[in-house]
Amino acid sequence: MSSSTIRSRKDASAPSEAEATTTATGPERDATVTKPNGPESATTTTTVTKPKSKFKPPPPEQDSHIFRRSLIIASFWLLVLCLGIPIWWKTTSIYRASLPLNQMMDWANGKACSPVFPIRIAIEAPDLNGQEAQSITSITQYALDTMPDFPGHRLRLEAAPPTPSEGTSPSNGHDDNALVVRLTPGDAATSAPVSSTHSHVPVLEITYPPSMRPTAETTSSGLATYIAAQLRDTFAEEQAITSYFLATSTISSDQHTGIDEPLAKRMTRSMKYSGTYHLTFSLFTSGSTPSSWDIDSAIDQYMRPVLDLLQPIHNFTIDTQVQLYAVPGVQSQSLTKEDLASFINAAEWPLSPSIGGAPTLNFVIFVGDQTIGLNSEEGTSRSWLAPQWGSVYLLSPPTTSHVSSEFLKQPILTFASHLLSLLGTPQSGSLPMRLSTLARVRSVDMLLRASSSLGSLARLSLALPSISIPSSVADGVAKSIHHLELACSKLGSTESLEHARIAETEAEQAFFEKSMVGQLYFPDEHKVAVYLPLLGPVGVPLVMGLLTEFKAWKARRQLKAKTS
Amino acid sequence: MRSFLSYLIPLLFLVFDVFASDYHEQLNLKPLPQSSLLASFNFRSNTTLTQFAAHNFRYFPRSLGQILQHVGTRELHLRFSLGRWDAESWGARPWDGTKEGGTGVELWAWLEADTEEEADHKWLTLTNALSGLFCASLNFIDETRTTRPVMSFRPEGDHGPAIDRMHLLHGVLPHEIVCTENLTPFLKLLPCKGKAGISSLLDGHKLFDATWQSMAIDIRPLCPPGQECVLQIEQTIDMVLDIERSKRPRAGEEWSLDQLFGKYLKGTCPLTDPDVPPVCIQVPERRDIFSTGGAVEIKNPNGLSRCYQISPERDFSMILPRMPRDGDNPKTTADEHVQPGTPLLYAERSFTGHGQERGGVQSILTNPSPDTEVEFVYMESLPWFMRVYLHTLKARVEGTSGAKDDLIEEIYYRPALDRARGTQLELRMRVPPASTVFLTYDFEKSVLRYTEYPPDANRGFDVAASIITILPSTSPNAPPTLQKTSNLRTTSLLLSLPTPDFSMPYNVIIFTSTAIALAFGGLYNILVRRFVGADEGPEEVGGLRGKIALLVAKLKSVTKGKVD
Repeated sequence: MSSSTIRSRKDASAPSEAEATTTATGPERDATVTKPNGPESATTTTTVTKPKSKFKPPPPEQDSHIFRRSLIIASFWLLVLCLGIPIWWKTTSIYRASLPLNQMMDWANGKACSPVFPIRIAIEAPDLNGQEAQSITSITQYALDTMPDFPGHRLRLEAAPPTPSEGTSPSNGHDDNALVVRLTPGDAATSAPVSSTHSHVPVLEITYPPSMRPTAETTSSGLATYIAAQLRDTFAEEQAITSYFLATSTISSDQHTGIDEPLAKRMTRSMKYSGTYHLTFSLFTSGSTPSSWDIDSAIDQYMRPVLDLLQPIHNFTIDTQVQLYAVPGVQSQSLTKEDLASFINAAEWPLSPSIGGAPTLNFVIFVGDQTIGLNSEEGTSRSWLAPQWGSVYLLSPPTTSHVSSEFLKQPILTFASHLLSLLGTPQSGSLPMRLSTLARVRSVDMLLRASSSLGSLARLSLALPSISIPSSVADGVAKSIHHLELACSKLGSTESLEHARIAETEAEQAFFEKSMVGQLYFPDEHKVAVYLPLLGPVGVPLVMGLLTEFKAWKARRQLKAKTS
Repeated sequence: MRSFLSYLIPLLFLVFDVFASDYHEQLNLKPLPQSSLLASFNFRSNTTLTQFAAHNFRYFPRSLGQILQHVGTRELHLRFSLGRWDAESWGARPWDGTKEGGTGVELWAWLEADTEEEADHKWLTLTNALSGLFCASLNFIDETRTTRPVMSFRPEGDHGPAIDRMHLLHGVLPHEIVCTENLTPFLKLLPCKGKAGISSLLDGHKLFDATWQSMAIDIRPLCPPGQECVLQIEQTIDMVLDIERSKRPRAGEEWSLDQLFGKYLKGTCPLTDPDVPPVCIQVPERRDIFSTGGAVEIKNPNGLSRCYQISPERDFSMILPRMPRDGDNPKTTADEHVQPGTPLLYAERSFTGHGQERGGVQSILTNPSPDTEVEFVYMESLPWFMRVYLHTLKARVEGTSGAKDDLIEEIYYRPALDRARGTQLELRMRVPPASTVFLTYDFEKSVLRYTEYPPDANRGFDVAASIITILPSTSPNAPPTLQKTSNLRTTSLLLSLPTPDFSMPYNVIIFTSTAIALAFGGLYNILVRRFVGADEGPEEVGGLRGKIALLVAKLKSVTKGKVD
């Protein structure tokens, strides 16, 4: 058959034939023949044109053919919908590992763990018998619990077991005791209780007058109130810092709204916690002298004691350098507060951070005769502290080209105190107390940071549905949550600090995963646009086929209804 | 050869001086034929290994020291080079070619590691850290650009028993363009930082305007007998200035130091040994030179060079006036500059062949010496997409009659793996006296993947320079230049690979989509359409004419209806 003799047409596209077919076939003939009719359109125009037509009507189509055609169309659509589109979608979609979003949000909202932990305080009263000691302990505890505006901390008092050899081992009753309160009776001359702290051991010495000696029966006593007030003062700073962290973290807490201004300033100054810090001591001079210094012995003499005390919490690595011809960023003789910020010549001074991940603290001694204007609040007249960076000391030029360790005493001691504030150590109390507070405060800080990173990641993955989430992120989140749980269960101990640190690193790593960023600008519209040359030409015949088939089916039904 | 000896004398002088002071610097000037000037800056600082291990940096730069310690680098060599040394007219290379690299950046280092994997890992850290320090793309030295040379390099330092654990890795970036941003960190490593001493002459505009320049950093541990071991860092800058070009817009034969470098030499660096003259120039005795006040001229007894002891505080420059050709004291060209020494070997390398599929490499190695044979290691490190046919490697000698055929004595060949590593080819060979060796081999160009092409793919791909290490002669009566290792490098090559049309992927998508859509549409239509006889369809009104006729008929019927 040649193509000219064959004329293909869609079944429903022949309205002009309508009259001819209806007249030729009786109404009792079935719907197949009358199917092509467009019943309304057929009536008006055909009267004029059709009589001249030399075409004969096509033979009626068989039922089975119509059914087969519907089947073909249906199977095409089935194939496209059930196989084609899913495969296309799957192969071009972005991999998103499933994240425990609810858990992450719980951590971020502070529902999973409340960073409030008990602090154990032992009361040592060598002169009181067991019952008396127990009694004073419970009264003081009651006094503490009823104290207004002192939430958060749970100070847990307990009576220390009476030590047989009294005085020999005064402070190490329990290792996890944050503080030991030692009660000693005073002589008759003392009228009011007196307290004193040791500078090297976490002991609060309280000497009470004999008149206040507690008995087993008393329910309230002046001594207990006094002890409670003392303890409150001692832990006030730690309390304030913890509140500060809670307030600045994402965990919304209404009761911590009023943040102490100087405290906030102090906390923003301190470095982010890290297990290891790298200390760089640099001697800068704008000329050619001095070109050597006795830094080793100066550090050993004046810095080492502080570093040794910090040993349980931080490790330190140290390097030193001498740099000649280092021109400061500000040349003026008297430095104002504004000058201090630009004094450090970051472009030319070789103060690159250390390699290997530990954050670097810079301690710069600049040899020059510049002075700091007195209206400055940030430092004394010779040195100042650059928040989260380090500190600078202006040393007046020595006479020789070698700087002796004696000459370095003042700068290094200043650096030691700056180091403590850069690490965020509390300012009051004895040094061991400050350090144990530092450990607790840091673990809270880490815990909150890790939680907020997890929360940010959860919000990010919800906000950007087209961002890819590699499985390493899911692993990091799982690890982070695991360590957070461990840290939470042992809150206040040194392991807790370590766990919180790991959790924080994992959470940060997961959040800053590199491969997540690359996919950000490849949205779904892009994908559709690339495949449009295929989807368009394939889609159009499919849709048209379906539409005509649907129209034909509708027409058949109408006709059937009419005939019946 | 005598002139070459004279060039060596200041070097030998330096060798004796190596351990005398902790810091040393010297500028060597050497006028070359065709109004060129070779300026060699040499800076050397020592630090004892104990001070280095204690992280106390004085003359040794801290930024670099930290990197070395972090990755356990025992010895490091870094080269930044630009341009081509014209051996035909300039003669033998400065420092015997040991302080220059191939065009671009070249780095090789001995790392301490137990396994090869560990060494690779450390190498990666090292290249990344150096990349940041020197603002160069050293981080692009990946495994495909890294080789482990077997015969070409030997450690220069004293390593003792540690040598068994050392791994040599070598990487080249021939495409890297050395520029001012590499000079600034280079100068920062110097104790006097370009503010005083000979480094005050260095300036990016002049240095990178030079016809040829090479910056080198060598770090090696040295153990002088009877003294403490030291770690030495030697920084070298060699440049060949075109005198006419550098002193623009001034014209004339006379030139001065400040005209060429654009500034005066600002005194001396106070850390150097005051007895070592900081500036030396190699000119015949009869050459007139005027220097600024405060400088003392010290003539070398051999009459081929003179040095200048300059005042620590005053600016220094020297003027080389035009030499009178007639008059009382006529001078000849021989008095203008010392005749450059003949190099041991001339080497050039080029591509042969045509087309996009195959190519060849030809290296021409000429031994100019009439009586001495030269033995050397020829090393090629080729990219993986250049597939070498080793069986086509041929060495052909021309010149001396009776030359033996076995020019190649030893071959070390490590074939390339696609996308994993490049070809490494090391040949130990000899060139007989007064003859030329043609070394040829063929290769096949591979087609890269779409994403592997750089943005400027049609520019071509740089192939690193081949490194020629001339081995010290074993015979006792060899000339002094042949008694120690010297180096030379060929130029790098530009290989053009078959490059695709980069709009190809989208074209492919559209083309295949269209083909699929066509096939699908035809198939689908055949399946769902009904075919009837030609005379059974609707009246065929073909084309525009038919449509118009239909429209006219319709209009007629309407108007007729109206009239009626």
